[in-house]
Amino acid sequence: MSEVSTEIPAQSARPTIFFDGVSSRRRQVTLALGQALEIAEEGGAPVSWAYADIRRADSPAGILRLACTSAPSLARLEIRDAALAADVTVRCMHLDEHQTSRRGVVKIVGWSVAAAGSIVCVVLFGVPLAADRLAPLVPKPIERRIGDASEVQVKTIFGRNVCEDPSGKAAFVKLVNRLRDAAGLDDDSVTAGVLPTSVPNAFALPGGKVYVLRGLLDKAENPDEIAGILAHELGHLKHYDNMRGLIYNGGTSFLIGLLFGDVTGSSAVIFASRSVVEASYSREAEAAADTFAIEIMHKLGRSPKPAAELMFRITGKEGGGLTSILASHPLTEDRLARMTREDRPPSGPPLLTDKEWQALKGICGSGKI
Amino acid sequence: MNDMQWAPIGSEPLPPPLPPTRVDFTGDRSAFRKMVTKGAMLELVTFGFYRFWLVTDIRRHLWTDTSIDGDAAEYTGRGKELLIGFLFALAILVPIYLAYFLVGIEFERWQGFASTPLFISFYAFGQFAIFRARRYRLTRTVWRGVRFWMDGSGWAYSFRAMLWGLLVFLTLGLALPWREASLERYKMRHTHYGDLRGDFAADGWTFFKRGWWLWLLSPIAIVIFPLAPFFYAEFKAREWRWWLDGIRIGGVSLSSKLPHDAFYGLYWKVIGWWTLLSAIFGAYLGGATMLVVTLSGVPAEQAFGPDNAAKSIPMLVMMVIGYFALALALNIVMRVYLQRDLWAKVLETVEVHNIGAAADVRGSGELASALGEGFADGLDVAGF
Repeated sequence: MSEVSTEIPAQSARPTIFFDGVSSRRRQVTLALGQALEIAEEGGAPVSWAYADIRRADSPAGILRLACTSAPSLARLEIRDAALAADVTVRCMHLDEHQTSRRGVVKIVGWSVAAAGSIVCVVLFGVPLAADRLAPLVPKPIERRIGDASEVQVKTIFGRNVCEDPSGKAAFVKLVNRLRDAAGLDDDSVTAGVLPTSVPNAFALPGGKVYVLRGLLDKAENPDEIAGILAHELGHLKHYDNMRGLIYNGGTSFLIGLLFGDVTGSSAVIFASRSVVEASYSREAEAAADTFAIEIMHKLGRSPKPAAELMFRITGKEGGGLTSILASHPLTEDRLARMTREDRPPSGPPLLTDKEWQALKGICGSGKI
Repeated sequence: MNDMQWAPIGSEPLPPPLPPTRVDFTGDRSAFRKMVTKGAMLELVTFGFYRFWLVTDIRRHLWTDTSIDGDAAEYTGRGKELLIGFLFALAILVPIYLAYFLVGIEFERWQGFASTPLFISFYAFGQFAIFRARRYRLTRTVWRGVRFWMDGSGWAYSFRAMLWGLLVFLTLGLALPWREASLERYKMRHTHYGDLRGDFAADGWTFFKRGWWLWLLSPIAIVIFPLAPFFYAEFKAREWRWWLDGIRIGGVSLSSKLPHDAFYGLYWKVIGWWTLLSAIFGAYLGGATMLVVTLSGVPAEQAFGPDNAAKSIPMLVMMVIGYFALALALNIVMRVYLQRDLWAKVLETVEVHNIGAAADVRGSGELASALGEGFADGLDVAGF
């Protein structure tokens, strides 16, 4: 090469620097490319690196930075001269062996997709199965404890005192007992009460606690309406829906969080995908509880339709489209349509007498709230 | 007075102080942008698992192109370490979540919502994770063949952070400068470069004097929200400058001339991009709706009416795709402006004094595991 003569001053202008990995001293060295790479410092002990052990380390543009697997792990040789760097590069055959290659990236993608696929399968099939199988096995005392905890929360929100008007309570107990017997639940498995709040709703808590909120009683026009709703809640108890939901929601939020890298499950993607998945599970449970309610009402010789009419009076017509994917309950209009199909003329005696019904409506006292 | 203090040292003349050294950042912006774009796409197809490698690549880029006194730093951490740290952290976090759940039930039984303070235990854990993640990053930071390292206890740090956090809460944020000073002092005093020990010389009072009026004016930003980015940029710039001024490692000290308005441009660019991308997303959704409506041949009201969930599925798919594209683009914008550009902007104002003190430092310190980063990832806390 004709440039050889100009190369030597260039090399001295752009020095080769060596850090021995033991101290931070900046050593100016000269290189000799023999059997191995000989690194010589003026007045220092020479170091020799075998070409096969030399690896490339991260460096800014214009500098070739080398490490050596048989030297101290942080020892670095920095070659600033391009020609010299090229000379050294051709001799080191394993220079880039440790870098993440295109194949490495493909491997990461492959394993991630496999991991994601298995998580999705577990969310869609494994967790519901586990929830269905495990929920009945949860010991009653534990279920009751969870129920107690949620009961305290509910009462903090909706008022501390259960409505206690004696004649109203007698009517309520009569209604609940008839439904419970028809549902085939044990005598001690259900405790029910009315809470004094104007919110029209009813719910079942773990450990067999069923609550009707006064707002629902106010909107109801006959005992069958309330009975249908109570039967629906008893359906939740019969199917262990609370414990199933708990196991299912805990499991899915954990797994989906795992997938997107946030175990607490707080970020938007996780929240959204969780909502969709959990809502579909909840809709299934609600539909099953509706089926149960229909059976009970038929068994008692009453129609399930009034309960759906009560719901429809409260919610009105619900939207469709995207909101239906996120809804935790089937749409009220769909439920009404279903209950209407199951409508039969009453064949059994009324569940409550008119007097009892009036007492039940006044269970929270008339002028209290 | 001065003469009397000098006297015992001896008669040898003091060498004139060397001029301060600059920190140079030579990173190529378009290379960084390409890297994060590719990384964001890989993150998408790997359901986020690629984040370990992307974060590593970003750090490698930023570290390598930062040179102090002519020598570039190096980041020796690897994505695989982060993945393993994350998996270990999961194995530890899962039983903790279960215990949290069970303890929570007992608390709730006793009193409604009594378990809310249990969240505080997660905050404590988050602080621990921040400390340990910093340790991981530092032990992967190498300059001149010697690594940085850290001792100290993550739990001791977390305890301090909790107490200071409580004080900040009680004083409505006024104690924040002292909290930062105290925590930074703890972190820096347990930071080492080889056999040099770090220290933090800035105090809370200095920071307070630089930023108290921002605290006073912050209610205005809630009312007139376009002012909020200005306030935040102003606060961040003052915080950075105060922090850099306080850093000491052995005899080496840093100082910064970061102007108070340094970040205005950055934040407004991010907001600009955010607005633009959101507008594009909105237009895309509108277009997608039109397309679905014209293709399926049902009027819009009916398409979104009841009994039409099946027909809304193509719409949902298009929304999800659009959402991911938006998240991806925002990720790229944030990383380019708030990581790379901010890094470059801060570094160009930094001066290093008495770098000669780091000319012959003996290497020491052990590598720390990536467990802390795993916790930080699992708990979704960030630290720097």
